[in-house]
Amino acid sequence: MCRRPLVRFTLMAFSVAFSVSALFPFQAAFRQFPGMEDDPVPVPADAYEKTEWAFTRLMYPSGVHASVFGEIGSWPTDYPKADRQFVQGVRRLTRIHARSSEQVVDLDSDEVFNWPWLYAVEVGHWGLTGAECAKMREYLLRGGFFMCDDFHGSGEWNVFIESIQRVFPDRPIVEIDNQDPIFHVLYDLGERIQVPGIQYWYTGRIWEKDGKTPHWRAIYDDSGRVMVAICFNQDNGDAWEWADHPRYPERYASQAYRMGINYIIYAMTH
Amino acid sequence: MFEFLFKYPGAVFHRGQFVLLAPWPLWILALGILAAGGLLLWHVRRNRGLLSGARPIVIWLLETAMVALLLFMLWHPAISIATLQPRQNVVAVVVDDSRSMAIREGSQTRSAQAAAVLDGKLLAALGQKFQVRLYRFGKDAERIQKTGQLSASEPASRIGDSLQQVLAESVTLPLGAVVLLSDGADNSGGIDLDTISQIRRRQIPVHTIGFGREKVDKDVEIIDAALPGHALADSRLSALVTFRQYGYAGQKAVVSVRDGGKVLASRPVQLKGDGAPQSEPLLFNAGLAGPKTLEISIDPLAGEENRDNNSIRRLIDVETRKPRILYMEGEPRWEFKFIRRAVEDDRSLQLASILRTTQNKIYVQGNSDPHELEQGFPAKPEELFAYDGLIIGSVETSYFTQTQQDLIREFANRRGGGILFLGGRFALAEGGYLHSPLAELVPVRIPEAKDTFHRDFSNQQLTAQGRESLICRLVEDPARNAERWNQMPQLANYNDVGEAKPGAVTLMEVVPAGRRAMPLLVTENYGRGRTAVFASSGSWRWRMWQDHTDTTHATFWQQLLRYLVSDSPGKVTGSTQRAVLSDETRVTLRAEVRDKAFEPVPNAVVEAHITGPDGTPTSVEMTPLPLEQGVYTTEWNAEKPGSYVAEIVAGRGKDELGRSVVVFRREDGVAESFRTAQNRELLEKLAEQTGGRYYTASNAARLPEEISYSEAGITTRETKDLWDMPVVFLLALLLRGSEWVLRRRWGVV
Repeated sequence: MCRRPLVRFTLMAFSVAFSVSALFPFQAAFRQFPGMEDDPVPVPADAYEKTEWAFTRLMYPSGVHASVFGEIGSWPTDYPKADRQFVQGVRRLTRIHARSSEQVVDLDSDEVFNWPWLYAVEVGHWGLTGAECAKMREYLLRGGFFMCDDFHGSGEWNVFIESIQRVFPDRPIVEIDNQDPIFHVLYDLGERIQVPGIQYWYTGRIWEKDGKTPHWRAIYDDSGRVMVAICFNQDNGDAWEWADHPRYPERYASQAYRMGINYIIYAMTH
Repeated sequence: MFEFLFKYPGAVFHRGQFVLLAPWPLWILALGILAAGGLLLWHVRRNRGLLSGARPIVIWLLETAMVALLLFMLWHPAISIATLQPRQNVVAVVVDDSRSMAIREGSQTRSAQAAAVLDGKLLAALGQKFQVRLYRFGKDAERIQKTGQLSASEPASRIGDSLQQVLAESVTLPLGAVVLLSDGADNSGGIDLDTISQIRRRQIPVHTIGFGREKVDKDVEIIDAALPGHALADSRLSALVTFRQYGYAGQKAVVSVRDGGKVLASRPVQLKGDGAPQSEPLLFNAGLAGPKTLEISIDPLAGEENRDNNSIRRLIDVETRKPRILYMEGEPRWEFKFIRRAVEDDRSLQLASILRTTQNKIYVQGNSDPHELEQGFPAKPEELFAYDGLIIGSVETSYFTQTQQDLIREFANRRGGGILFLGGRFALAEGGYLHSPLAELVPVRIPEAKDTFHRDFSNQQLTAQGRESLICRLVEDPARNAERWNQMPQLANYNDVGEAKPGAVTLMEVVPAGRRAMPLLVTENYGRGRTAVFASSGSWRWRMWQDHTDTTHATFWQQLLRYLVSDSPGKVTGSTQRAVLSDETRVTLRAEVRDKAFEPVPNAVVEAHITGPDGTPTSVEMTPLPLEQGVYTTEWNAEKPGSYVAEIVAGRGKDELGRSVVVFRREDGVAESFRTAQNRELLEKLAEQTGGRYYTASNAARLPEEISYSEAGITTRETKDLWDMPVVFLLALLLRGSEWVLRRRWGVV
């Protein structure tokens, strides 16, 4: 949850460059964006390798919900360390041909259609535009998979559903049944625990705001497949980011890795 | 005129043998001609002062020719010919009495024309020389006494069978010749070689008299419609409709496929030149499971003379089975997900899959019970052969044991299943396939090189064969279909593969930027089954880069996988030689019976349960063929016209081995409406091959004279002199006259 301010101009320049590249008929390569964390990680040597899968982080606007994140918004929370550290686990524990570096995409270009697995953090502070909602809907209906994480309490839930209900006004958000394949595709996660962020170091609480109960919710497509996997009242991103820190309990990091890997393999099998 | 000049009818020269009756050898004749020529040359040279230039040569040639003619006549040329003894031989007159003979030609029907020819002079003239036996025929020949018994009402005409019957009936009689009066519209597709050989052995000439126009003025006729005998439910099928037309060249006609009156497909076609066979494919959906009688037709055109030949029926068994496909994938990847999704949308296919998620774990989907595939890829034939198709994704050969690799080969070879190889970073050359039994199965040459898998976006294009293939057909019109493929999103990746193997068919090519096109989708038959390679794992972009309502990706994969399994045989495979019995009742059913390992079963109990058009079931036991292990047959009579469904059930002991459905249809009288123009070619060929002659109604009067010359029956051999033919005297006169005229003109008389 640590963050630092960024220069708006730099972000805009990167966004423009990114959007232009998406017009060309090739998959956008890795690009380093300025992060907001105070725990930087180096760019991996094979960051530009072409792979089957890459950790694809959604760059979304926060708009009026930017709150403490300022103008940059909340999308780069835990970025890029969480992404790169989680990918190390994906590479070690599965046969997925995974890139060591993350891929950042937005919904303003069509580049997102090259990355059928998408992750967004702090969606309790997002504010998608109408066009972005339409693009997200199309992405999911074509077969894309969206995992969102690290938002807590009723206030942030309300912000989240304000956008997601414009993506799917007529599809309910439901609790995922423990028997759903998404909890068993690789690891059996029928029984789960609440995964806290690193505020746990300072407060000793595993919840934030009024989000005492963790929820694993989803929006399903017409064939009963999860399109949107909603990790509410939990912070898998922090667990990935701080898994290497001695103060962060292994049991939380372990579940976060398993959950993330299950979601990826589910997205690649259903 | 011929007979005036040559003294005898043409048949004498046609059937007789040329002989020289003089006792002197032929070389003396040649020597005499040479000597005479030499003497005349000496004489002409001696008097060369009288004529200049080439004139002496001309005179010499004319004189030599004259001497040669006279010398030749001295050798007594003649024709030796067998002649039927008057009043001692039988001539069979066989008249076509099928419905096509009722077609009106001007003021008379063909049958009436035949009767007129017979009653006019022919029967009387033949009767003066021979005993005449009159027959009419349709499917069978029947003796009649007079032409008044002809009715032109038989629903079919079988010339070969009828001739055989006439020959068999007259085997003890001195049959000298057969006279066949017909329009040549034979419904059995021609006269078989056995019949021709039998006639030739008995040396009986068949003289034919043809009736009917050789070309109709205005007609469209369907010649054939080729479509598979069975298909999976909801399959896209192609009926190749072949037809010809007269009088409508350049016009449009509408070709349709109907199922019980419901139009399944219909499209206009432009008609080509008169009489030229024209083939047009018509795509349609097979629809729900069950046997179907499809009507393939061309809408009648204005002024068409015969509309009964505008449609034909074909039977198709739309199968109730849902073929099962096993997909073995070596790593999680998007192609896997989207292929699974495409198949999930297909009601006629089932996909079970094994995915290696980690080095030591697999994830199984689509299994029918929790134990299916729990041990991973099958290692026993009865387990693997339970599937109809197999997809091998990005899997190294080292993942499979040697037994499993051999099983995969036998899956196509013995089981008759379809195998699809996908591209990927552990597939094909990258997976070590080149030095494994799998190399033989892959329909392309696998390169020795490594680093053949490229994650570069690339275009794809259809080949000429791909444009015609149903696998790649997204839009019915081939040109628009090719254009549609050109507009498809790029593939995410591709594998370098070598050229397609001989006999394999390349349907699609990948066109990487700055590189030559390479095979992408290639198919081939292998053993009893078939194999294919799709050298990419990047078609998922066709799904992600097109609107969510676009079904292109699913359509392609469903069509490819249906191709893979639609012909995969079950353990019991029933068949019949002809699905349509045209004016026939006899049907032969055949069943190939195999066990779970697809080894032939020689000791099965096989029964065919046949249900006819009236719904009455009949059971027939099928007997094993002595020379083909595991093959059982039976013959059965389809008593009534209509559609029949035969369910063949095979068992061994108390166990049922499997069952198969065969559909067939008996049609009576339909064939007579087709090919209504006179088939002169068939009649001429029959006459020629048997030593007879072809006549028309107008020159049939010559037949009684010419028919006498035959080797069959009771004959005498006659020798007919040729020296006194008027043409010989005319030739001598011409030679001498020419010389005299030339000498007069040149002043040397």
